Amino acid sequence: MKLSEMIGNVRSNPIGTISQWQDKRFLWIFMAVLSLFMVILAHSVFQIWLYMRPCEQCVYIRIAFFAMAFGGIVAALKPSNPGFKIVGYLFAIWGSFKGVLYSIKLNKIHHAAHSDDLFGVQGCSPEPTFPFHLPLDKWSPEWFKPTGDCGYDNPIIPDGAQLSSLQKAITDFYSEGWYLWPPAHFMNMAQCTVITFGVILLFLVVAAACWIVTLVRKRQTAAQTASASCHGKLA
Amino acid sequence: MFTFAKTVLKSFALVALLAGTSFAFTEGTDYVKLAKPIANAQGTLIKVFSYDCPFCYKYDKKITPNLVPKLPRDLKFRPFHLKTKGKYGVQGSELFAVLLLKDQKAGLSDRDLYTEKSLLKKAKMAYYTAYHDKKERWDAGPDAYLKTGLDAVGMTKAEFDKAKNDPQVKALLKEWDQSYDVAKIQGVPGFVVNGKYLIMTKNITSIDGMLQLINELKTK
Repeated sequence: MKLSEMIGNVRSNPIGTISQWQDKRFLWIFMAVLSLFMVILAHSVFQIWLYMRPCEQCVYIRIAFFAMAFGGIVAALKPSNPGFKIVGYLFAIWGSFKGVLYSIKLNKIHHAAHSDDLFGVQGCSPEPTFPFHLPLDKWSPEWFKPTGDCGYDNPIIPDGAQLSSLQKAITDFYSEGWYLWPPAHFMNMAQCTVITFGVILLFLVVAAACWIVTLVRKRQTAAQTASASCHGKLA
Repeated sequence: MFTFAKTVLKSFALVALLAGTSFAFTEGTDYVKLAKPIANAQGTLIKVFSYDCPFCYKYDKKITPNLVPKLPRDLKFRPFHLKTKGKYGVQGSELFAVLLLKDQKAGLSDRDLYTEKSLLKKAKMAYYTAYHDKKERWDAGPDAYLKTGLDAVGMTKAEFDKAKNDPQVKALLKEWDQSYDVAKIQGVPGFVVNGKYLIMTKNITSIDGMLQLINELKTK
């Protein structure tokens, strides 16, 4: 489909078009891949390669992304199947909603940690409490055990670690913590994830609403045709 | 309609009146009752902390030194170090327990623990600055960790090894083990009044507000 054609469809029939999109695999797969990319980036690149340790909220954010990835994969199995799609929506909406909350909390902690205004947040918990009390930090400590301090995500290089010149350059670049653009302290990790979660959540809610509206409309048209044919018979 | 408006107005007035009195704090938001109270802690304010905790450092820089001197006279301030947080939590607890008892033997009262005379304070601040400001992680091992604190107070390793076997130190450490159940609830720092009421750190908005809450919980 051409882009101009797509824009034309959205203009003429926005609800129907969005409803059609969520009946196709592409967006579900896109969300799952994006979510997995974020977690793998955080774990394999920032945590393992660049020695930036995850804090309590950070591991909660990971579980939120995993929930979205799972939801995306389930829905993508067969998006036209309402059962798969409902499971997909539930996981993805739950994940992105929790993700927004975790990110807002992390941002508050980050603010308090880097300023003199330390009221309004609580300290760092020595052990995480995951949703539904899942012992994820015991099952997979490398992915889910918080080893960092809340509000601080700068690299901590162990004594004796041999850094490649690239590692050295990047860890120096992030030496004051993770920012989208470290030299200016522009957008911390929490602010970036809250935008990611927020945009996806907004999209999911809109898509789900369009799907429901389309279903209701289809029912109504079906009922009207049925009653119309009934009348026809009587006459 | 008029009577309805009147009722609403009256209830607002009542709420305003109640809010003005000392009943402004609520269980669950401002404090929680501990399921497992700390033993023998009537008449105390306990602070559970860890060297490996940025907010403990922040509180010990800005809040606690100003709070402790203003505490009600009949409330004793007691620091509890949490050994389960941080790579060297156990060593930290041992050293802090030794130094706290040394401070007490030197005649320091609980109100003096934030003065320059306190060895506990010296060692604690040395760890805070090393860990949080200089990002020291003591990868060389526990001896390297202990050196930071011992150097700050001018104690030798031999003196410390002898002091840590003192039965009083052991008893204090055993008391401090109760910190874990407190820290589990909302993390550290954690402030507990009479061993029963844990203040929700998140809802503290000022030192004066914190004092008011402590005063209220003390009589409970």
